[in-house]
Amino acid sequence: MRSEHKVRDWRGAILVAAVYVYFLIFAQFAFLELLSADGLQDNKLKAVMAAMAVGGILFSLLTPRLRIIADPARRIRIGLILSALAAALSVVPLSFTGAIAVAFLIGAGLGIVTVTLVTYLVVWCGEQASILKTGVGVGIGYLICNIPAVFTASAKHQALFSAFVFLAVAFLPLADKNLLGPTLQSDAPSKTRPYLAFPLVLIAFTALIWLDSSAFYIIQHSGVLKAGTWSGDLRLWAIGAIHFVFAIASAFLLLKKRIALVLISAFAFLGSACALLAHPALIHSAALFYPAGVSLYSVALVIYPSSISSHYDFGKRARQAGWLYAIAGWIGSALGIGMGQNLGHIPTTFVLTAGVLVSIPLGVGLARTAPREVTLLAFIVVVSMVALHFLPTSNPEYTQTAIERGRQVYIEEGCISCHSQYVRPGTSDVLMWGPASTPAEIHAEKPPLIGNRRQGPDLSEVGLRRSSTWLKEHLIAPRTLTGNSIMPSYAYLFDDGRGNDLVAYLASLQSGDIAAHLAEEHAWRPSASAVRQASLSEGKHLYREDCATCHEARGDARVLWSDQLKPQPPDLSQMRRSSEKQDTQYLAQIIKFGIQDTDMPGHEWLSDRQVASLSLWIHDNSSQPIAKH
Amino acid sequence: MKNPDANPTVVARHALAWLVFGNAIGVGLALLLLLPNLNSLLGEWTYGRWMMVHMNVLLYGWCGIPMLGFLFHTYGLETGRMSRWTRPIVWLWSLALMIGSASWLQGHSSGKLFLDWTGFARIFFVLTLETLWIFLVAAVFFELRDGTSSSLRKALPQLAGIVVLGFVPNAIYFATNPGLYPAINPNSGGPTGASQLESTLSIVLILLVIPFGITSRNPRQSRIAGFAWIMFAAQAIFCAFLGRADASNHLPLQYLGLTTSLVWVPLIPLYYNTFRWREESRRWRSAFLWWWGGLVITGCAFFFPGILDRFKFTDGLVGHSLTAVAGFLTAFLIFIMVELAGPQHAWIFNRTWSFHAWNMGVLAYVLLMTATGWIESADPAFTISPGGLRDVLYFLRLLTGVAMLAASIEWLRNAMTQNADRIEVESLVGAKAA
Repeated sequence: MRSEHKVRDWRGAILVAAVYVYFLIFAQFAFLELLSADGLQDNKLKAVMAAMAVGGILFSLLTPRLRIIADPARRIRIGLILSALAAALSVVPLSFTGAIAVAFLIGAGLGIVTVTLVTYLVVWCGEQASILKTGVGVGIGYLICNIPAVFTASAKHQALFSAFVFLAVAFLPLADKNLLGPTLQSDAPSKTRPYLAFPLVLIAFTALIWLDSSAFYIIQHSGVLKAGTWSGDLRLWAIGAIHFVFAIASAFLLLKKRIALVLISAFAFLGSACALLAHPALIHSAALFYPAGVSLYSVALVIYPSSISSHYDFGKRARQAGWLYAIAGWIGSALGIGMGQNLGHIPTTFVLTAGVLVSIPLGVGLARTAPREVTLLAFIVVVSMVALHFLPTSNPEYTQTAIERGRQVYIEEGCISCHSQYVRPGTSDVLMWGPASTPAEIHAEKPPLIGNRRQGPDLSEVGLRRSSTWLKEHLIAPRTLTGNSIMPSYAYLFDDGRGNDLVAYLASLQSGDIAAHLAEEHAWRPSASAVRQASLSEGKHLYREDCATCHEARGDARVLWSDQLKPQPPDLSQMRRSSEKQDTQYLAQIIKFGIQDTDMPGHEWLSDRQVASLSLWIHDNSSQPIAKH
Repeated sequence: MKNPDANPTVVARHALAWLVFGNAIGVGLALLLLLPNLNSLLGEWTYGRWMMVHMNVLLYGWCGIPMLGFLFHTYGLETGRMSRWTRPIVWLWSLALMIGSASWLQGHSSGKLFLDWTGFARIFFVLTLETLWIFLVAAVFFELRDGTSSSLRKALPQLAGIVVLGFVPNAIYFATNPGLYPAINPNSGGPTGASQLESTLSIVLILLVIPFGITSRNPRQSRIAGFAWIMFAAQAIFCAFLGRADASNHLPLQYLGLTTSLVWVPLIPLYYNTFRWREESRRWRSAFLWWWGGLVITGCAFFFPGILDRFKFTDGLVGHSLTAVAGFLTAFLIFIMVELAGPQHAWIFNRTWSFHAWNMGVLAYVLLMTATGWIESADPAFTISPGGLRDVLYFLRLLTGVAMLAASIEWLRNAMTQNADRIEVESLVGAKAA
């Protein structure tokens, strides 16, 4: 008896999970592939999808008014069976008309199932922890869809699996005495009283679903983006886990009546994912944010009309759910797909507008509970905007030179956090980093970029020590050129003009009179004690870390940029096999300071002993193979 | 008239939230230095941009907001008709920092450390300061008009403070101008001895003034307080004499001039003994005074020729900065907050484990960074091309950061708990009177 109760209490969660599985794996995914296999594309495909949307909208709105099937248990069973039938039919080859009919049936079935389900979910979830059970249901639904075997199954198998799931849940014991009354008989839901107006929530959900659908469409139709998101077993499991964790988190927040916070958080994740989609290199980060945002709002989409709706009456509750799913669900989704199709990206202004719309519920709530805070903050925001408009601004970007713009990029990226621009006179700085500047020269810079910490080399004379090509390649892939570098990649700066501006600025960092400094470099020798302490093993280690990348045929930097490096770096493995032996002193100077006017950089930070070890190893080891960098 | 909006926990919650946020970023940055491959997950929000957020939220959030609490108390904003605006002002300050953080993450910066405000964020922050000032002026005005100010002797220092504070927003606005830069020490690229002494004296002035705003003198007469003020005036004149020109730390006048600040190592504890303090603030008062001593002594020592030449641009000075912000300033701010909040709220900061986790964490951090800086100064490759020893030291540093983060989370959790909610209706003045 007790176990039967337990099962009955989990009916709602099972139904929710089943609906998500059907919708995600079949309606949104497999059905499209099956249509494509039937040769339905472009306008015909759009017409079929429109038929599904029409079915969905129509039956979302009609379901609350269906007097002929008054029993909710019976009604949802009919919806489940119709949907299952549609999924089963989709695996047979369909004509255009047949596809329209099946698509309409899918929409209609889903309309009936979703609206009926959320209207009576509190009954099917039992009195205990209904909101948390709903979260579990959504989480499990997403998790199942991301199981590699399910996700990578053929479209036919996915359709049949979805049909089987819906048929199976149709046989759950759904009849319940609590379904019979016109209003909720349990007092449990009354604890979660409404506190947000329905239109505000509707707008927020529409914006979120619009964003979600658009992002989903763009990812699905870009090979690079798709490969970076839903590919590989490990990644699929990870995405499934993220969905599950955030679904539970969402349920916890909703339990504490934090729907505005859930919507804002969902937007923060989804909006970030949409912004990151513009940078294919960052798709891995987008792939983490996207499922988090989707799960957050998906749980709210079920729980709002079922547990925190403003109505106790089942009829009114159902009508509200109908409007929510028709407008936010079906129309929002269609608009999102349309945006993805037509623009191929999500405009930043749209993301920001969506953010404003999603924030409205939170703003309204705050205005009620903290009017002074809202008034003061809004007032200062407006005054600041007006002041910004009237205050004089610095030179517009288009009037600046590349070097000036590059300096601004240097400031914006916070390069000052790791790189100083100050050579201390009379210290070892001078030999390593170049001639010292006077305070007067430093003050002439606006502002001086002295910095206070060297996680990397001083850059005040970097233009003297590095070629533009090297600087660019190092900004794109630092560890390719310097084995143990802790510097992040700034490849994204080269997606627009910022990278080249930064290179121009860095290349400009050299003082006029360098003759004395070059003489000092030429006069340098590793100390006698350093030469005595030099070891081949250290030399080999350093070679593999810093030299092989350019000086071995299969070195990473050589493979990537061999056509850009001038002159082509000699293949030292070949040189070692020849009888030519370079003088170790000469090698040491090249290692330490590079070769002027070429792409060969110095390694100024290495100690005398390290330089001596490296030159010794390059000089002596002609037979030992060197592992690929 | 007590107002539930005007409670010290609002200040503590906001300040602690920024402390936790800043510390969490710090731990993340320490992790990035150990595992640089993680940078690829950050997109355009790279290490350099997060550094700006890290440093600024700790300065303006963690260090700035407790000072709001002090001003609210000193200018009577916690009671009376203006009290309902204290919470909005704290929120406004936090919003300015949120806007600032978003702006720095987007790469908007003036290029000046700790003065990175630019564009909209700069205007918003300055207007926030102006707003605070207007409310302080209004509070004084109503106090004078209603005759609630106990005496002219109390009102005059308040008015003097208002005048001085009136310059702060404009000073911040102009200080963020990239065209302005302080004097440079040609041998290090850092501040001159005169600048360092000026900064020290600014802090000393704050240390000398603050007791008057939050407590009263010991009935036992002492000449120490008078001596401290005379010493301050003398040093201020000496500092003016040193001037603001670029000057090397190799000049005896510069490094010997800075060593005159050593007088404050014993003088500040003696000065604070002349005031009455709560028993609950004892451990944080001791902590801040110990950190103060350590800060001034190491500050002078690190400025000497030969030592500064070795430590400049290394982790050694990073450790010294942490002595200032995480050691001295944090202990001082918590001491102030405990004093302001009263016995009911003292428990927020007084758990033994979090007190030790913080202070021992900071001490270990400083020692580790001093050692790292010492090695690094002789071997630049130690940092630029890191090896095993550097990674071990940085891993230990990460652990100290986690200890500090854990302590700050504990304080925030305490400030947010139900117990704090229950007693937050008791205003500071009421608590003190009790």
